[in-house]
Amino acid sequence: MSKKDTILQAATRLFSEKGFKETSIAELSKTTGAAEGTIFYHFKNKEDIFLSILEDTRNRVIEEFERYLKEGKFDSGLDMIEGATSFYFYLAGMMEEQFLLLHRRHPHELAEVNPVCREHLEAIYNCFVNGFEQAILLGQKDGSIRKMSSKKTSLIIFSMVDGLVRFKTYNLYDAGALHKEFIELCRRMLQKK
Amino acid sequence: MSVITVFSGNFCKEDPVVLEVTSSTGYKLVTDKVLISDASRLSGMGEGKIERAFSATTSVFNKFTHEKERAIAYLRLALAETLSDDDLFIQGFAGQLIPKEVSHVLRVCLIADLKFRTKVAAEEQGLSEKDAVKLIHNEDNDRAAWVNALFGNKDPWAASLYDIVIPMDKKDVAEAAALIVKNLDSDVVKTTESSRKAVEDFILAANTEVALVKEGHTAGVNVKDGSVTLTINKHVLMLSRLEEELKSIVSRVPGVKSVDTKVGRGFHKADVYRKVDLEAPSKVLLVDDEREFVQTLSERLIMREMGSAVTYDGESALKLVSKDEPEVMILDLKMPGIDGIEVLRRVKETRPEIEVIILTGHGSEADRKVCMDLGAFAYLHKPVDIDLLSESLKKANEKIRQKKAAMS
Repeated sequence: MSKKDTILQAATRLFSEKGFKETSIAELSKTTGAAEGTIFYHFKNKEDIFLSILEDTRNRVIEEFERYLKEGKFDSGLDMIEGATSFYFYLAGMMEEQFLLLHRRHPHELAEVNPVCREHLEAIYNCFVNGFEQAILLGQKDGSIRKMSSKKTSLIIFSMVDGLVRFKTYNLYDAGALHKEFIELCRRMLQKK
Repeated sequence: MSVITVFSGNFCKEDPVVLEVTSSTGYKLVTDKVLISDASRLSGMGEGKIERAFSATTSVFNKFTHEKERAIAYLRLALAETLSDDDLFIQGFAGQLIPKEVSHVLRVCLIADLKFRTKVAAEEQGLSEKDAVKLIHNEDNDRAAWVNALFGNKDPWAASLYDIVIPMDKKDVAEAAALIVKNLDSDVVKTTESSRKAVEDFILAANTEVALVKEGHTAGVNVKDGSVTLTINKHVLMLSRLEEELKSIVSRVPGVKSVDTKVGRGFHKADVYRKVDLEAPSKVLLVDDEREFVQTLSERLIMREMGSAVTYDGESALKLVSKDEPEVMILDLKMPGIDGIEVLRRVKETRPEIEVIILTGHGSEADRKVCMDLGAFAYLHKPVDIDLLSESLKKANEKIRQKKAAMS
């Protein structure tokens, strides 16, 4: 792994665990063994490191999620919703630190003043919501999903999966125990009667 | 052929003036009550819910339900439809919703000083001075909140909002009514081709807004000759999704020729104060060269719902004071460049209404005396207890409110 990647990986962990403001370059230097000068050789400042992490997260999320939707075999739009939401949970498990970071307040605050940050976050969220919407539209076409606003419904489904991941992240409840009911509820909510 | 609107303080003899003008001109009187009932009919919302739009307090649930925005959208529609008629006298809050492009409207404000109003309150309703002042204060508050929400102007009686502001402590009812009737003849309030068109655009804007609130959305709506511009005034991360949805809703409204969206003031954090809220206690400016310290402090104040801005040296503080309007300043004494005492001196010279709280880690008893003599509000030592500081801020705030109340 290159020095730069090592720094990014360590920073992802530190930012996700302690938060952006609480993480110092000195600590990052200690964890990675990279001199502070080396860190500043690769990145302009702490924010630059943070934005690089977001960019990586964005690229990886989009690549994985889109590939899954493209290559997955679904019998109907309703099945695709089940697949897409399950894949969201899978990604959240695979990229735990990145999701933890996305659940922090700081990136969203930064997005209000920093257009680059805004753009990364919008792309990440859009990728998921677009995927869900795509499944709803497909389901409405093949008759498995009833007529309802695909735009709003996809957002609500996103808020449900995102909420469940938050349950897990902050140990509110054993989120795994809710998975079966979640899928059932989604089906009942969308299914054409 | 015109429309009159009147928006007044309570106990300013509004009703007799309205009566006199309507009887001499034959204009049809349209009150808030009439419009509320129309809006209720159009929306299916209860009249009480619609009327609450005129109150300064907003339900805590409003963030999720947008009930206030819905009420206002339907009020606007009721008003816009009413404006298809001419020769109207629109009395109350709703008249403020007419856009300025509708130029055949004579906008009247009746107001008087507190002394006159308490006297009228005693004559009309037998109120004690204390009760009258309280009632006047409460109702002025609602009016200020209404005007501020619509125009961003904190003064509901600001001359810029009206064609005539009549001081009722200096004119009697007959004189005021005569003044209004005389101004009705003025060319500037005559109906013209473009003011007619503006009414049509107003109706379309109102219908557009209703279509949006029906779907749970709110946005600024501007219509010019059937072309709609929507302004998104809050920060939304998934902006492109939102724009797409708003466009698809609005393009279905009959009469809309085109739809455009743009982001407005609320979208970018243009304001140095991170939170500007009518009910937030104050706008606080923190001046200190210890960056870590002020940033933490600023965050803690924001947690306590006080909007705060930060500068790290005296010079930027003075610059900010001259272009913006902090109400309270928290100032360190020892800073590079212009030091705290000098900042205090200049602020008190040019903007004496700003209350300054000194917060210092190094100050001596002599410094304390100098600062208090210069007009500092309080002198606190670092490290400061956030509760103690909050308390001082609240007291400073109270002093400012009292001063403002005494002036108006």
